[in-house]
Amino acid sequence: MPWRRREAAVAGVYQTPQGDLSDRTQPEVWFECAKGACTDAGLTLADVEGIIGDGPQGAGIRSRLPGAALGHDLLGKPLRYQASSSVGAAASASGLNLAVHAVETGLADAVLVVNAVAGRPEGSTSADRDQAVAAMAKLSGPYEYVYGTTRVSDYATLAMRHMHEFGTTSEQLAEVAVAQRHGATLHPLSFHGHRGEITVDDVVKSRMVADPLHLLDCCAINQGGGAVLVTTADTVRAQGRHAPVGLLGYGEGHSHIDPSSAPSLASFDAPAMAADRAFELAGVSRDDIDVAGIGDHFTINVLFGLEAAGFCKTGESGQFVTGGALAIGGRLPTNTAGGFLSFSHAGACGIFTMIELIEQLRGTAGARQVSGARHGYLNGVGGAMQNSFSAILGQV
Amino acid sequence: MAAYDKFLPEGLPAWQRPFWDSLREHDVRVQKCSGCGAFRHVPKELCNRCHSSEATWSPISGTGRVYTYTVVRRAPTPAYQAEAPYVLVHVEMAEGFRMIGSLTVDDPRTVRIGQDVRITYEDVDADWSILRFEPA
Repeated sequence: MPWRRREAAVAGVYQTPQGDLSDRTQPEVWFECAKGACTDAGLTLADVEGIIGDGPQGAGIRSRLPGAALGHDLLGKPLRYQASSSVGAAASASGLNLAVHAVETGLADAVLVVNAVAGRPEGSTSADRDQAVAAMAKLSGPYEYVYGTTRVSDYATLAMRHMHEFGTTSEQLAEVAVAQRHGATLHPLSFHGHRGEITVDDVVKSRMVADPLHLLDCCAINQGGGAVLVTTADTVRAQGRHAPVGLLGYGEGHSHIDPSSAPSLASFDAPAMAADRAFELAGVSRDDIDVAGIGDHFTINVLFGLEAAGFCKTGESGQFVTGGALAIGGRLPTNTAGGFLSFSHAGACGIFTMIELIEQLRGTAGARQVSGARHGYLNGVGGAMQNSFSAILGQV
Repeated sequence: MAAYDKFLPEGLPAWQRPFWDSLREHDVRVQKCSGCGAFRHVPKELCNRCHSSEATWSPISGTGRVYTYTVVRRAPTPAYQAEAPYVLVHVEMAEGFRMIGSLTVDDPRTVRIGQDVRITYEDVDADWSILRFEPA
């Protein structure tokens, strides 16, 4: 069979309510998401030929032969394609890229990207916050964790350096949280939307977790699920259910594992490399971007992401975000469903950021809709600016 | 001494032990590439500049400046929380590489990027010592 070249597009998306799913099992939520994305596409689980990332728990030996266990054991048939990008929350753009690649080359006709966190797992996805915080602290190496570092302290040291070099303020960081909370209040599935709007003052007066990051500069830990189904653009058009949103450009940047290896902790070259390549391949400019989804474990991430993507110059993101620029209706609406901060920080939560962009570009984001949204910029970061994945999304 | 209940290094490869042994001896030694002379920390099997795998464990001045820092108020475990708030620093050492450690300081509000610090050691149990810094 010839190596085919054809266009891929997102056919279906699905999300559960985000929050505490400890009373449900992870496989149950995984299947709900997988089936939900298929249903949204007008397809069924029987059409799925590829899976990106983990399957549901309990599908057998997955760590060494992950693809194999997703075949007969899970789907009751052989699986044509499996891949994993193993980059945690950043897996959004990278997962989509892998799915698109599989469909466009003809490796598989329909590929699922699923993220599901539920039940009562141990470790970093535990519903027990203390246990999750302790487990995540040890994701760093012993040259960091023996001193009592945390995921918050990792980013806090970056934020402190950014403030030192560029004069960035806590009030500027707070702008990110405020804009995103507004979006979450307009999304019924969001984890924090029900808490209502917050102000810059609320953020800077919330208790300090690791200076300079306050509680409301940080995402919480919660559970939830989501899935995206990718198939050929022709299939999506033939189904006629949704506008076909696809990958217009994509890029990666892999930087460092030890913070002491990074030339700077205030500006980063690898994320800029990821963004530059995505824009080059898409043939669109920064000014063409109508809506953005930028990984936001902490407010400072969004500032780094804006600078790396070239929406502003290095060091100028604090001024850029001031005055509601990231809010729906602002200069660059970003994380319009709330992002990790206010929508969901469950597992590979970049998928939720991606789903929101897809809904924006389909024109189905309801009260959050950015009018005339044609091009979306998606960025996910693994670790503390350690690897970066950027994509330009739009209708194909 | 009461049983130490904070994190200790796990899964360290044997070739990295000289660094931890040097902390135990209160005489820090850092990997120095035999090919190009660059110091490197965290230890690596290969030099990222000249790709030599030959290195020595070399003494350093032990002084540097705070490159960035944070004050941890929400710690990873109860044992660390008992010490909170505590200061974590990334220090630009005189030799040009950065190291991470905790900074011994009475008042975290006095910490400044650029301030001079020097290495000290904390013997945490019979086997392990970890790096600390103090204002110089």
